Amino acid sequence: MAMNSNEHFEGVAMVFKHLRYALMGLVFCGSWVQANPLDYALTPKEIAPNTWVVTGLTEDFTTQNGGNIVNTAFIVTQEGVLVLDTGPSKRYGEALRQVISEVTEQPIARVYNSHHHPDHFLGNQAFADVDIYALATTIDLIKSRGEAYTENMYRMVGDWMRGTDVLLPNQIQTSGQEIIGGHSLRFMAFSGHSGAQADLVILDETTGVLFAFDLVFYDRALTTPDTPGLMQWLEDIEALSLLDFKTLVPGHGEVTSSTKPLEQMREYLKWLDQVLTDSAAQGLVATEVMRVGIPERFSSVALAAQELQRTVSHLYPNYEDAFFAESF
Amino acid sequence: MLPNLVVAQAHDSVMWDYTRKMFLGDALYQFDDRIRVSLPEFAEDSMQVPVSVDASAIDESIVKMITWADYNPIQHIFTYHPEPGMLPQVSITFKVQQSTPVRAAVLTESGQWLVGSGYVSAAGGGCTLPSESRMNDDWQSSLGQIRAGRFSSTDQPGADRYKFRIMHPMDSGLVANIPSFYLEQVELRSANGDLQVRLELSPAVSENPSISFDLLSSDQNYQLWVRDNDGNEFQRAL
Repeated sequence: MAMNSNEHFEGVAMVFKHLRYALMGLVFCGSWVQANPLDYALTPKEIAPNTWVVTGLTEDFTTQNGGNIVNTAFIVTQEGVLVLDTGPSKRYGEALRQVISEVTEQPIARVYNSHHHPDHFLGNQAFADVDIYALATTIDLIKSRGEAYTENMYRMVGDWMRGTDVLLPNQIQTSGQEIIGGHSLRFMAFSGHSGAQADLVILDETTGVLFAFDLVFYDRALTTPDTPGLMQWLEDIEALSLLDFKTLVPGHGEVTSSTKPLEQMREYLKWLDQVLTDSAAQGLVATEVMRVGIPERFSSVALAAQELQRTVSHLYPNYEDAFFAESF
Repeated sequence: MLPNLVVAQAHDSVMWDYTRKMFLGDALYQFDDRIRVSLPEFAEDSMQVPVSVDASAIDESIVKMITWADYNPIQHIFTYHPEPGMLPQVSITFKVQQSTPVRAAVLTESGQWLVGSGYVSAAGGGCTLPSESRMNDDWQSSLGQIRAGRFSSTDQPGADRYKFRIMHPMDSGLVANIPSFYLEQVELRSANGDLQVRLELSPAVSENPSISFDLLSSDQNYQLWVRDNDGNEFQRAL
């Protein structure tokens, strides 16, 4: 259908009007992107002499937080800086190295990966020029699962991961005492969170700081994909509570100078075990156990309901087996 | 005018019209939220996703229950045929290929199709990954072993739950060089041989699946019989 010239003119004006809005949109979007670059904005806090912690959010992985849900730490010694875990991405590792250089002129001496989960070692690429230490079992686990973890992280947090690849630790850490740069460090291997001898714990006897890593979650529900059993984990918590420390750094959650995180872990592990046992005894199916209510006393524990669903997937079949009769 | 819920559920999957015709043909149906389809919010393990269907809020007996996942390459999960005394409550573990709505269509005695829906998010890959037992290769020694338990229901007096896990690779046929090999028929019979329940399974059911159903009558000795598509038969008393 033909338009007369007047209509045609109006049509062109409409196009310009829309174009103007479209351009305005572009301008706004452009400035929005600039105001929100993928910046982890890490702020280390000195929790003991020469000992710094970068505390992550007690959230799950999202495209908003870029996987900054983990605590990393560093100890500045006379022989260089010891870096404890490197975060969820290359970008995080680089940001961590940047804030370390703002705190001290000391070079990085060593890096440690506490265990094989992606938020603890995927920042390794930023430390490719130094030795990276981990337990032998951890190195094997990163070797076999690292790539799948990395893919999954790209899926969950998106562009924050750009350029991130697995960089294996190149040095084996064994249990025992070591004096590095005037710090007396006790290295211990536990199993509760990551599997047989796959959880590194470091006690700095010089400062009294216990780096419990993911054996301890504080006000954030613990995760169970690789636990050999909740009772094993409980045993490890009892062992930690016998150590002589002033400050406790959990893998997820706030740093404290109290034993509250250990008490919370103990209570939570016992409760989980009880729920799974009782449910199996009653013959509940997984979908029912996933919806069991979280007791009021754990109201401060973030993500408890979500993690319960995951834990049921990981552990409930074993609990069910205990109440089945064998084949005959 | 359709109620809003119906519109919402019918439109939350582009596959709905296709899968509905596949399972219900041109039969009239109605969405009904009295049919509860319980799933985890996220499939932590896409090869072992628990689903429970509970149609006990419907005030008449049911003849048949068909469940399927809209976005699975093998949509069908199971079809359940209860005899009197069976409660319309079934749980099973199955595989998901990607995030998907899960449907449970119930045919009532009066001939109505009522449909309940649930949804599970997933990273995926469940149906096209080899089963764990295929990677370990020791499945033959445990094939067909059944672990089972009977539990009295706490919230339904007089009801018993029968729960069992049977060892089977449940190969979907979608993995290269592994033909489909799966349990396809489950029957529960009372001591005098009367059929209590019949269950047809698809290869979308998980490896070593857990299955449970609820019964009203107690103190009977039930016999479980299971057959796979290779003709292997397994049975035990429950």
